[in-house]
Amino acid sequence: METKVKSKALDTFKEAAETIVNPELKKWIDQGGKVVGYFCCYGPEEIITAAGLTPFRVRATGSTGTELADAYLTSINCSFCRHAFNMGLLGEYDFLEGVIWLNNCDHIRRIYDNWWRKVDTPLAHMMSLPKLQADKQVGWWREELVILKEALEKHLGVKITDDKLREAIKIHNETRRLLKQLYELRKKDKPPITGADTLAVVIASTSMPRAEFNEILKELLGELKDAEGIKDYKFRLMIVSSIMDDPKYIKLIEDLGGLVVTDSACYGTRTFWVEVDEKDKDPLGALARYYIQEKPSCPRMFRDFPQRSAHIQEMIKEFKVDGMIGLRMVFCDLWAGEFFMQEKNLDKADFPVLHMDREYLMAGTAGQVRTRVQAFMESIGGKR
Amino acid sequence: MIVAGCDIGSTTGKSAIMVNGKLSSYTIIPSTTKPEETARKSMEEAMGFLGIVSMEEIDYIVGTGYGRLKVPFANENVSEITCHARGANWMCPSVRTVVDIGGQDCKVMSLDEKGNVLEFVMNDRCAAGTGRFFEGMARVLECGLEGISKLSLESKSPANITSQCSVFAESEVVTLINEGIDVIDIAAGVNSSVAGRLNSMVRKVGLVEDVVLTGGCAKNEGLAQALEKKLGVKVIHLSEDPQIAGAVGAAVIAAERVSQQSGGKSG
Amino acid sequence: MTGRSLDDKCCQKLIQERDMLDMMVQTFTKTSTGTNLHMVPTKAFVDHHNEILRRYISGEPHITSYFCCAPEIYTAMDLPWNTFLTPAFTGAIMPTYHDEIDASGRMFRGMDLCTIIRLAAYIVEEDLVPPPTAVIAMLHPCDGINVVHQTMANNEKWKNIPVFGADPPYWADERSYEYYADELKKMVEFLEEHTGLKMDTNRLREVVKESNKQIRLWQEWNELRRAVPCPHGGAMGLEVFGEATTVHSGMPVGTAWLEDVIADAESLVKQGKGAVEKESIRVFWFDVLSLGLTLELFPWLEQEWGAVVAMEMFGYSPYTEIDTSTEDSMFKGLAKRALHEVPMIRQARGVADLFLSDIEKIVKDYKIDAVVYPGYMGHKDGSGSAGLMREKCRELGVPFMYIGMDLFDDRYTTLDELKDKFSKFFTSMGLG
Repeated sequence: METKVKSKALDTFKEAAETIVNPELKKWIDQGGKVVGYFCCYGPEEIITAAGLTPFRVRATGSTGTELADAYLTSINCSFCRHAFNMGLLGEYDFLEGVIWLNNCDHIRRIYDNWWRKVDTPLAHMMSLPKLQADKQVGWWREELVILKEALEKHLGVKITDDKLREAIKIHNETRRLLKQLYELRKKDKPPITGADTLAVVIASTSMPRAEFNEILKELLGELKDAEGIKDYKFRLMIVSSIMDDPKYIKLIEDLGGLVVTDSACYGTRTFWVEVDEKDKDPLGALARYYIQEKPSCPRMFRDFPQRSAHIQEMIKEFKVDGMIGLRMVFCDLWAGEFFMQEKNLDKADFPVLHMDREYLMAGTAGQVRTRVQAFMESIGGKR
Repeated sequence: MIVAGCDIGSTTGKSAIMVNGKLSSYTIIPSTTKPEETARKSMEEAMGFLGIVSMEEIDYIVGTGYGRLKVPFANENVSEITCHARGANWMCPSVRTVVDIGGQDCKVMSLDEKGNVLEFVMNDRCAAGTGRFFEGMARVLECGLEGISKLSLESKSPANITSQCSVFAESEVVTLINEGIDVIDIAAGVNSSVAGRLNSMVRKVGLVEDVVLTGGCAKNEGLAQALEKKLGVKVIHLSEDPQIAGAVGAAVIAAERVSQQSGGKSG
Repeated sequence: MTGRSLDDKCCQKLIQERDMLDMMVQTFTKTSTGTNLHMVPTKAFVDHHNEILRRYISGEPHITSYFCCAPEIYTAMDLPWNTFLTPAFTGAIMPTYHDEIDASGRMFRGMDLCTIIRLAAYIVEEDLVPPPTAVIAMLHPCDGINVVHQTMANNEKWKNIPVFGADPPYWADERSYEYYADELKKMVEFLEEHTGLKMDTNRLREVVKESNKQIRLWQEWNELRRAVPCPHGGAMGLEVFGEATTVHSGMPVGTAWLEDVIADAESLVKQGKGAVEKESIRVFWFDVLSLGLTLELFPWLEQEWGAVVAMEMFGYSPYTEIDTSTEDSMFKGLAKRALHEVPMIRQARGVADLFLSDIEKIVKDYKIDAVVYPGYMGHKDGSGSAGLMREKCRELGVPFMYIGMDLFDDRYTTLDELKDKFSKFFTSMGLG
């Protein structure tokens, strides 16, 4: 299954998804631009952009091992974290001016403790993200954003004004809008782009100067508008996951006839389905409210499961989804609970669900994945 | 001076006899169900090579083994770790990091110049990196343990086995076989995977040269080379069979005891 | 009349546990010739279980909560609280334990989630715990505890039970204590609303003063454990922690018991006697303890190696006294305790620094010969700090061992495997 259109824009995005420093980012760096990394989709990219830097969501693309990281993390820590920290130790992230963490989960937050002691990143900053979503927590998160803002200002010798924040919010909202437009195209009976390629686009959105990304995506959207769609698929699937940044994994599913048409993922709709309120006179307040209350949440947000489910239901309805594939990283406690609750929910509705555990690198487990997805699709067929 | 060391492991029993500071004979025999019997058999065999008829002719015997096993006829029993470290140090005085891969577990030790253990790391619950892992792989590849080493040495491009968990890894190997990947490359991949785990353990105690491999899996030349690649330093080959490090170390300690008793310098 | 009876399914586990603990109490009473220190903490749970069962039948309020959510408040409100954690802790003496662990694994389609957490979720799913009037949820120190409360709240049968979880800040500074103090006040409002009970400030003051006393005694007892040989080992640490922070928090009966413990320790120290006949290794056990460990592994360490657990994570009390002058000062003090002083919560909830500074302090104060970090499979963040702990110990010149085990499921790393690892560790480091 392939995206029919031949597109330079799409090629650019695919390259960005397969590398860490893509050509656009390299150009930025060569011209003296700075890059600040962040872990997790709650990372406040807008503030990084407002500081005049490029935000980069840290991945472990291209990692082949965790041997250096395993001297600090252990075999019961998430493999994404071990690979990411390993990349740091190998110097693959030496191009970063700083890295921002938050306590989104037990594994990622411990990268911070090890990273700042072992990797020579000029600025390592940790943030305290609430687990509830009331106005009090919005207030707390706004304070944390201020603390971050001041740390960046001090470190870089810049001033992050409200106007700069507003401008940054506009740029990032445009990214959200454009990605949503991309997804809208996949509601069609014959979507013009595969799930694997869409994932590459979303990954690219976190890997290069944002304004430039927006321009390239506009190009791609133009090319896809009237492009020939994909019709040789058996079922329409959605992915529900935490970190899933491997288009090859999605391709494997799609090559079996299961076209991925949407998702609830953090390289996915959870980051762009809702926009930051541009009308709020207080940009930091708007950002705080967006991240805590408005964006579709991650399982660490306490008792927000009904809203997370509603988001999934919306996706199922609007994209005419036939089945859901839930992916969990082994040792992830948050998604173990989420899957448990999802199974109970979706069992009731008799909706086809496949839950799979994985490690960060698919590699040799491809055979198993294929077998399970194949069986899953046969069962969807059986239900009709 | 005639001294001896006797090391009873879960799979093999080893005895070493040193005459006037030279390693004069040693044996490696498969363990029987009774440790005392294994000890006696291996010691008598080593004695036989030198024409020694009775244990009375030996000035001091130090026993060692897994757990709290005691060699009944030994004058003294010392821990296997200590014996192992001293043995490695005797065979290679420049050794500072010992990587020991046994049947059931693997350990990495950092030593001082006298062969005393400074730090020590064991594998956690994961079987990956132990003899058990190799056994599983040898079964899947149908080549036997020595086969893994021989095959891997012919490989120019080791297969990449990325699974961290040994259960996933075994099924990954099955997939590779089905995909027609050359078994020599898979064998090399297995060695590389284990070398990776060992690399992590070495990093925990800190890499200090010289590095030696001991234990049953140390004779896997392919593993030694893979480990060298990972560590970025040469892995020294011991002058004697690496499996007898424990028994040799026990004999070295026995020699020290004799010197001490005769008023010599303390160890 | 509630139409409820002790025959209800949800009562059986508590009854089973109570009966087991009661049997232990009977053994103590029968065989002890002097003060048997284990009796009070064990009987406390027997009484506790009975009270929860009684309230289940009568319909009087009771809640579920934890030792780290300001238990002084519950004492002040005369509100008994049950915890989901006991099945894991008492599990070693319960016959159906392994089956329950396996069943809980099937629930979550895997065994990598913390065993304590899985068991807690399981007993709720299976109606094995009396539904409380309200649930106080914990959202930290780990993902697991966050998750289990979400699964509980999502449970059809429990959907009418109100839930409150205080939002935990990641830091331990004034700003965080104030934030959390406000959360605790919200917790009180919630409890007043749903239980009909009122919290009286003066009563809270009494309870906190008593709790302050208990903290002082706890620390005095800790001082005595610095003695060589160490008078009391790890099992006692868990009991002291339990008395001061769970069923008898802020209650005079708990204070009296702590005084007895100190008297016993003092007497041993004066005689130069230790918990272990020939103490040769002083261990710092830097994680939680289970009944299984204290019944099997620790006695073996003592007999085989002369190894005493001179300090453990749960016995270590860095608590400070709470200023009882105003309601605000009390809530701030309780918040500080909950965030920064409660064992395990303190180290695991925020940055890894406290793992390291606690090791440093304890190694020095208690003349520790070996630091053991069990690497409990549920403590993902702890394992993520293990490399740093190792380096800290290297800096201090003290041997460090990371095990990698399940503190509550002896099949994960068996007792024999543990013994083997300890033997190898001690001998290679020249200990014992």
